[in-house]
Amino acid sequence: MSNSNLTVNQNIHGATLSRRGFFQTGGALITGIGLLRGANSTNSLNAALPESWVEIHADNTVLIRTGKCDFGQSSIYTAYRQIVADELDVTMDAITTVVAGDTDTTPDGSGTFDLLGRGVINLRKAAAYTRQALLEIAAGRLGVAKDNLSVKAGVVSGGGKSITYGELVKDQNFKLTIPVTGDLTTMFGLVVSGNPPMKPVSEYKYVGKSFKNSIIPAKVTAKETWVTDVKVPGMLHARMIHPATLGSKLISAGVVDKKRFPNSQVIVKGNLVGVVAPTEWEAIQASRQVATATKWTEWKGLPGNGNLFRFLRQDADWKSAPVSRSGKSKGDTVAALKVAPKQHTATYEMPYMKHAPLGPTMAVGDVKSDGTVVVHTHNQNPQALRGQIALMLGISTDKVIVKTYSGPGHYGRSNGGNAGAEDEAVLLSKELGRPVRVQWMRAEDFQWSTQSSAAYSDVKIGLDASGKISSYEIDHHMPAMQDDRPIGAVLAGLPTMEAPSEKGQRLANITNGNSDAWVYDGVLNLEERAHGTYQVGQRQSPIAVGLRDHSMRTPGQFQQNFPREVAISEAAALAGADPLQFRLDHAKEPRVIALLQRLRAESGWESRPSPQPKAATTGAAALKGQGASVMFRSGSYWACACQIAVSPSTGAVKVEKVTMVVDPGIVVNPLQLKRQVEGGIIMGISHALYEELTFDESGITTKDWLSYPVLKMSETPEIKVVMLHNPEVGNYGQGSEAANALCAPAIAAALFDATGKPARSLPFKPAKVKELLKA
Amino acid sequence: MLTLTVNGRKRDVQAPADTPLLYVLRNDLDITSPQFGCGLAQCGACSILLDGKEVRACITPASAAVGKEVTTLEGLPDRWAKQQKLSPEQAAKTLHPVQQAWIEEQTPLCGFCQSGMMIKATELLEKTPHPSDPEIKAAFTTSGPSAHICRCGSYYAIVEAVRLAGTIMAKGGAK
Repeated sequence: MSNSNLTVNQNIHGATLSRRGFFQTGGALITGIGLLRGANSTNSLNAALPESWVEIHADNTVLIRTGKCDFGQSSIYTAYRQIVADELDVTMDAITTVVAGDTDTTPDGSGTFDLLGRGVINLRKAAAYTRQALLEIAAGRLGVAKDNLSVKAGVVSGGGKSITYGELVKDQNFKLTIPVTGDLTTMFGLVVSGNPPMKPVSEYKYVGKSFKNSIIPAKVTAKETWVTDVKVPGMLHARMIHPATLGSKLISAGVVDKKRFPNSQVIVKGNLVGVVAPTEWEAIQASRQVATATKWTEWKGLPGNGNLFRFLRQDADWKSAPVSRSGKSKGDTVAALKVAPKQHTATYEMPYMKHAPLGPTMAVGDVKSDGTVVVHTHNQNPQALRGQIALMLGISTDKVIVKTYSGPGHYGRSNGGNAGAEDEAVLLSKELGRPVRVQWMRAEDFQWSTQSSAAYSDVKIGLDASGKISSYEIDHHMPAMQDDRPIGAVLAGLPTMEAPSEKGQRLANITNGNSDAWVYDGVLNLEERAHGTYQVGQRQSPIAVGLRDHSMRTPGQFQQNFPREVAISEAAALAGADPLQFRLDHAKEPRVIALLQRLRAESGWESRPSPQPKAATTGAAALKGQGASVMFRSGSYWACACQIAVSPSTGAVKVEKVTMVVDPGIVVNPLQLKRQVEGGIIMGISHALYEELTFDESGITTKDWLSYPVLKMSETPEIKVVMLHNPEVGNYGQGSEAANALCAPAIAAALFDATGKPARSLPFKPAKVKELLKA
Repeated sequence: MLTLTVNGRKRDVQAPADTPLLYVLRNDLDITSPQFGCGLAQCGACSILLDGKEVRACITPASAAVGKEVTTLEGLPDRWAKQQKLSPEQAAKTLHPVQQAWIEEQTPLCGFCQSGMMIKATELLEKTPHPSDPEIKAAFTTSGPSAHICRCGSYYAIVEAVRLAGTIMAKGGAK
């Protein structure tokens, strides 16, 4: 052991352990980034702040950091702690602090999505590297070879001696530098590389058990600081006046009636108009007054939602982007279809839907006199937002800090770096030289945010003489799904990332991919094609806005899984087969087979073909039906059964029971997964029964919870969540988003089962169901 | 100037009398549990109790609260302590049974709606100590100006938590 301040470097599975002398008190091992990252951003205005993932403290506590935020998934407060506790061999309680989201105190960026897949691998590897470093240090201190040491609950033992992690770092200044790749302020952030030894699944102590979410007590006792609570000294309140249509340019901004609103002021930048005032109520009232006096050019360039699918089929440009063929496509579907004795041909339609966070987007922008920018927000990808703000202002990312707080769930809307209000708050703050809080109102959040893309799919299925699928062809059509341009920057005419096009990079490309993994491996002839196009209205709008789309929950996959699964149910009917058995008959993957068998056992499924024997379209009695669906996503298999009742007189659909079986591989936290799945089911039923964006030729007409109804508590069905533990798969299961997607195809199949009428166009609102029954 | 009684304390407010109570609570009094969800009394994120009745702070003028008792999520522990006549020592370490149940059942997902949900649950349980599941669902759907909306889909967990809260209340607060 050295007694000087010399730096000692040791190679730990490709990471570098250094000791930078001693601390007088305390001491720590900090695992972080140390490699030069070329022109890439660093994460802080203050070089002294740690760019680290894991800190081991002398008091045996552990701090972890992640660039991800919590949007209700709980993972960063539950699963992340469990996974780190297991990799590090410490107790859950030892991990006392989770630092999340803020760009100046977290290391890795990327977004709040795929939290247990790509999302957790950085922390998991960092913890694994850290454990190896601690063993190395312990070997030196105890004089016992590393291979002869073991760790339990933060205590290293071997050769009859033992020492705690805390004692190992006491008064020391260790830094473990681990290798990374990637770019901090882009969509996917930094990725920890290398392959430190990871713990075998069989040795997990904490992964697999239920733990409570450590953020919940603060939220339930009003102690949590929500983004809506942020107050910065000198802060002004703002309301925006967004253009009259999705293609309008500003003719003239209204003038504040100073007699009524003496302290209000209008800010104009290009087509961006905002009204600021010292109090929120004055800003609201003054903005209403100014809005009525603000003049915009007229624009009509959208098909209107009544003409949407005719427009998409006949007028949209599907030629600019190449057609994608799925990797599982094989055989000769055309030839097989030609000789198929029975054929099923149909089109399925999915409307635009809103993410509809319960709270409209808001943010505080604070552009300081030295040009640095602080944004206070609730955002799924703070580092990407940081990059967007820097791009908009033409400054270095080093000048921008994004601070994050708890807020309403976004369901994907902000995973590319903006939720809506952030850039507008920054622009107003820059104009005024004071911090500005921008809060969108309810209607703006429906009308000026992005939406989940509408889509349609054409399906052709051929059945052979034995009733098996001999040919399956599907053509998916969907406008571009990911527009991450900040709307305020677009309106102000400032630089943004590119709008989606056939030349766009990665997610900004309009090419549509095949997102819904095929699970019926027994089908010999398969052709899955995905067609992409521009966002509706994007190229017609003089301000390049149109109907901007953004990934939501299972982006693209929902739009492909719904048509597939409904078509499979209908093909089963054509074959005279039970739709669950029909799926089993075409599956080869043992996980799919086990999943479907379990679904049949747990859901009260009646094994028989659809429609049900008493299927009808009229009568006083409610018609009962059952339907099923399957999805593979993020290494997890999901299956769903829904039992419904339809009232022929009103067209109202009541979902009575939902059974969801999930094989996620490793169930990290059963309690939290159950709650996530229940939540996903509720949102999924809501999508199936109610959700549909309305728009006319000029813009979005959906404006509130009356024009965008969602499921109410009285409609909550009986819910049964079944988890299959399949640890040898090695995959950590994901939460609610797949549960969300599975409901609509199962409900559509149940509607068909109850009535004998195929239900192919979402959502199943009463008026549409009545039409369906008359057809 | 208005004088309001919020969570048992008298508070003077300079805001104009027509200011919605939501902004007065959040901006003038730093009582931030009621959230802005719609400003239209359509979602329930801003719910508070006014003399024990659930109202929407986003459309209630501050002047309408004068002379009445405003209770927010922050005031639920004291409300329970007073109802149970707890000693100050006991009160200091006691959460309202609704809050206890919300933690025990791990009810919130993002949690943005849950202040309003807990207010609604408190109103319900003060009137109906042992509600049936249909009564719980009806309370959150049809008893107020609008249904209480949870976008994350925590309805199932809320029904379980209200049931548990009722049980805790029946036992005088002990889990």
